[in-house]
Amino acid sequence: MIHIEVAGFGSTVQDHGRFGQLRAGVPTSGPADPFAFRAAQALVGNVARDAAIEVVGASFAFRCDDSRLIAVTGRDVTVAVRDRVPSWSSVFVRAGDVVRVTGSARTRYAYVAISGGITSEPILGSRSLYPRAGLGRMLTAGDTLPLGAARATAEDAGRHVSFEYGDRAAAIAGPHVDRFDAATVARFFDAEFVAAAQSDRQGARFDGPGVASRAGEILTCGVIDGAVQVPSSGQPIVLLADHQTTGGYPIIATVIEADLGIVAQRAPGETLRFYRVERDAALARGRELRAVLATA
Amino acid sequence: MTIEPRIRPFGERGLLVELGETFDERAIERARRVADAWERLHVGAAVPAYASVVLGFAADLLTPEEAERRASEIIASTADARSVGAAADEQPADRRTVEIPTRYDGPDLADVATRSGLSVDEVVALHTGRTYTAYFLGFQPGFAYCGRLDPRIVAPRLDRPRERVPAGGVAVADGQTGIYPFASPGGWRLIGSTDLVMFDASADEPSRLRAGDRVRFVPR
Repeated sequence: MIHIEVAGFGSTVQDHGRFGQLRAGVPTSGPADPFAFRAAQALVGNVARDAAIEVVGASFAFRCDDSRLIAVTGRDVTVAVRDRVPSWSSVFVRAGDVVRVTGSARTRYAYVAISGGITSEPILGSRSLYPRAGLGRMLTAGDTLPLGAARATAEDAGRHVSFEYGDRAAAIAGPHVDRFDAATVARFFDAEFVAAAQSDRQGARFDGPGVASRAGEILTCGVIDGAVQVPSSGQPIVLLADHQTTGGYPIIATVIEADLGIVAQRAPGETLRFYRVERDAALARGRELRAVLATA
Repeated sequence: MTIEPRIRPFGERGLLVELGETFDERAIERARRVADAWERLHVGAAVPAYASVVLGFAADLLTPEEAERRASEIIASTADARSVGAAADEQPADRRTVEIPTRYDGPDLADVATRSGLSVDEVVALHTGRTYTAYFLGFQPGFAYCGRLDPRIVAPRLDRPRERVPAGGVAVADGQTGIYPFASPGGWRLIGSTDLVMFDASADEPSRLRAGDRVRFVPR
């Protein structure tokens, strides 16, 4: 069991996502920063289907009933077990020791993976929680969650993954790019945007030069993670894990999977630029990141 | 209006198939067929809507070029209008009718009547007098876009969406009707309410409505 002592505000259990209910209008959910999630899981010997904790709210603390390999990832996170221990690393923690996770003003999401994974009861085929529709609830202090049999041991401690959160995200033009003027598309791929405070797991919102389409809305269509929707205000929204399955705003570009975490982790007031890539470059970047995890 | 279907890249893991540019029952039906056929390939999920389908694929299962080729084949196989209704799961006998007990007490009911040049009773009679089709689900878990609304009911979307629509709100907009399963912001006009639970995560089939269902509103 894992005992949660400090829960943050909006922390949830997440696995790689719920894919069987999209046509019933249920978002996939899963981690808002997929690479940080996968890195934490890889460091403790877990697979992507295993569940971990997504920490929201910069402060989290827990202890486990038995000794376990753990890893904490995310932007700007610090971890302490009595003394400070490294983040983005596998750490062996003894039974009963309290692990404290602290973020900075720049941390939106952190991931706590425990070898064996969280084995809470799956809902509709996934352990990812989506409280808006009654699929579980946010974690609170005092919660206990079951853990699976550990997949790694003390000898696996000390491994590390490196990741830099830059201020640029790669995006593929479209699918509605031809509903935007060429000058607007050029501006989108050149301008500096500023992360807005209202961002959440549904979408990361940005302010900047207007990049509205020629026609305000489109016939509602399905949407995916990374889609950059542009409402008539011209201020883009990048869809994240809890996004609705369909949307009615034109999509100027789609952030590549590898850079979703960079977008999700921009703190209010920080800048972000989008740069244009083609699908081959996006797939190559995905392979690079998977290779990084394979050596973790 | 029918256009030549187009396949557009949607990131490196998706395609958007556009089957038309207007709200048209035939395009909705075809979008559903394309989505069903894609899901039978087991390479990723599909999300159909009015006249388009998003096809997802895992990078380790298909390249984008292979995905486009498979999508083209599926689009071609659904081009024949007669084949659309021919699949086994599309037999009329399989279509359920779901009744929605409705109180016509929505805050926009009088306004919808005024815009339509009708009395409130006439709007209620027109809304309850039809059997609708659930076209597809989206927006919220369990939210079905249903149509087609009687054209005499004039109900454009609200200029400013409400910040909070209650769960169970029965609403109309732009030729369609639907029920909000959860409290949320919403831009459709509220004409009534229901106590029916539209989405229950603990049920085997959590959504009360599925695409293709027939839907009737029964006044309470």
